[in-house]
Amino acid sequence: MKDADPSTNEREFLLAALKDGARIDGRKFYDFRTLRLTFGAEYGAVEVQLGNTRVLAKVSCEVIRPYTDKPTEGFLMFNTELSPMASAAFEVGRQTDEEVLVSRLIEKAMRRSRALDTEGLCIVAGEKVWSIRVDIHFLDHDGNLVDAACIAAITALLHFRRPDVTVVGEDHTLEQRNPVPLSIHHIPICTTFAFFNNGERMVVDPTFLEEQVKEGDMTITLNVHKEVCALSKAGGIPMEIDQILQCTKIAVVKVAEITAQIQAALEADAKKR
Amino acid sequence: MSRLDRTRTSAHQLRPFFSSQNLLNRADGSAQFDFGESSVMCSVVGPSEVKLRDEKLDKATIEVVVRPLVGLPGIKDKAREQAIRETLEPLVLSGLHPRTGIQIVVQTMKDDGCILATAFNATILALLDAGIPLKSILGAVTCIVDNNSNEILLDPTTEELANAKSTHTFVFDNKSSITSKEEQQESVDVATLYSDSTGLFSEEEYFECAQICYKAVQAVHGFIRTAVQKKLEKEYQQIHS
Repeated sequence: MKDADPSTNEREFLLAALKDGARIDGRKFYDFRTLRLTFGAEYGAVEVQLGNTRVLAKVSCEVIRPYTDKPTEGFLMFNTELSPMASAAFEVGRQTDEEVLVSRLIEKAMRRSRALDTEGLCIVAGEKVWSIRVDIHFLDHDGNLVDAACIAAITALLHFRRPDVTVVGEDHTLEQRNPVPLSIHHIPICTTFAFFNNGERMVVDPTFLEEQVKEGDMTITLNVHKEVCALSKAGGIPMEIDQILQCTKIAVVKVAEITAQIQAALEADAKKR
Repeated sequence: MSRLDRTRTSAHQLRPFFSSQNLLNRADGSAQFDFGESSVMCSVVGPSEVKLRDEKLDKATIEVVVRPLVGLPGIKDKAREQAIRETLEPLVLSGLHPRTGIQIVVQTMKDDGCILATAFNATILALLDAGIPLKSILGAVTCIVDNNSNEILLDPTTEELANAKSTHTFVFDNKSSITSKEEQQESVDVATLYSDSTGLFSEEEYFECAQICYKAVQAVHGFIRTAVQKKLEKEYQQIHS
């Protein structure tokens, strides 16, 4: 079932409000919605709520044989299938364009930015490495799936602990020792912008309605060290360079805020255990 | 005897229930149901447009999608989809909504055993939340026969399931559960909606499991009733405040 387009009234109201300097949910232009992080009982399970958007990330691991040309490299895999739970527009077994874009973006932001030390996942070179799998489940779609998924994935990876192993000769044994955290180099966070009114008006963290009305969008992935990990502007209206620079400056502030919130949530959870 | 999860004292004790309805915005109805550390979220969309090839002229088409917590959906999930769909089909008054579709999506959120039973309970709560007309409600529980002690343990955890000789999941509706007190004490003729057993077990064991699960399901029915009642009270207050 395809999503119905917003009515002309809704569209006009949203655009008129933006022109007058207001968003319909009462946020300022560069505000994120309230971010809520909930951890599961076991390591590596995180539920992220960004306003009404809801994403569940679950990290799991297994021991597998590495590729012969990269004998010491572990694996990091993402599964970002959009389930019809998020929206009836997503069908089972058929990828929409949106789904392809979301998966590609998360892959770029997390894996290709080398956020996780895959060399550290090696147990016996050429024989055994850890394969880390991140399953991202989209539960509710109210816009900006990418940012929510990115926060969920990195928080789950930070929260995850893999079993400790001891190597005896060629073999490895799982031991009853404290599980160890993954070594993560940096925390990439996505910030999505949506553009309206011929690119004159831009907003951070668009809702579903804003996404339906927008003229274009851009996602910037940064870490707290002000390093750009990925930048994606797939289509939409053309933009000036100055505007992109302005976006990155806004994103720097947002990334710092979100990173601090993730770390605070992780610390609070660690204290409870 | 103390159970492996140490929070329970008796073999016939269920883990604490938890449920919450109307969590998702895009779905017509949704619910989460927990048995201790097992949690399932379910969303319902419908009655709505249906694909032409799935359209039934005299009733609504029920589609069930089961999604695992880890990995891609496999055979096990397909089997669960079929189990849930075929159990629900006689329960839903689908004749009231011909040529429409009701889509049910079941997502495991936390897995600590008894996912199928948890999924059944989440599904019925989500259907109630979506306002889909139903003939009756259902309740599900799982029990195992322990390998060492031969004792029947209700609502096992993953740890306990690893040590099971046989596993039985039962679903009962609430129509047959209105029985008089004396009947409840003796063996009752139970009306089973769904039963799934794996492992090696005798006929007596099977019927004993059915009896025990039937008694346990009464608690689930009661819980679902209270959950819906509370939700309606809250909604009523919101309208009239």
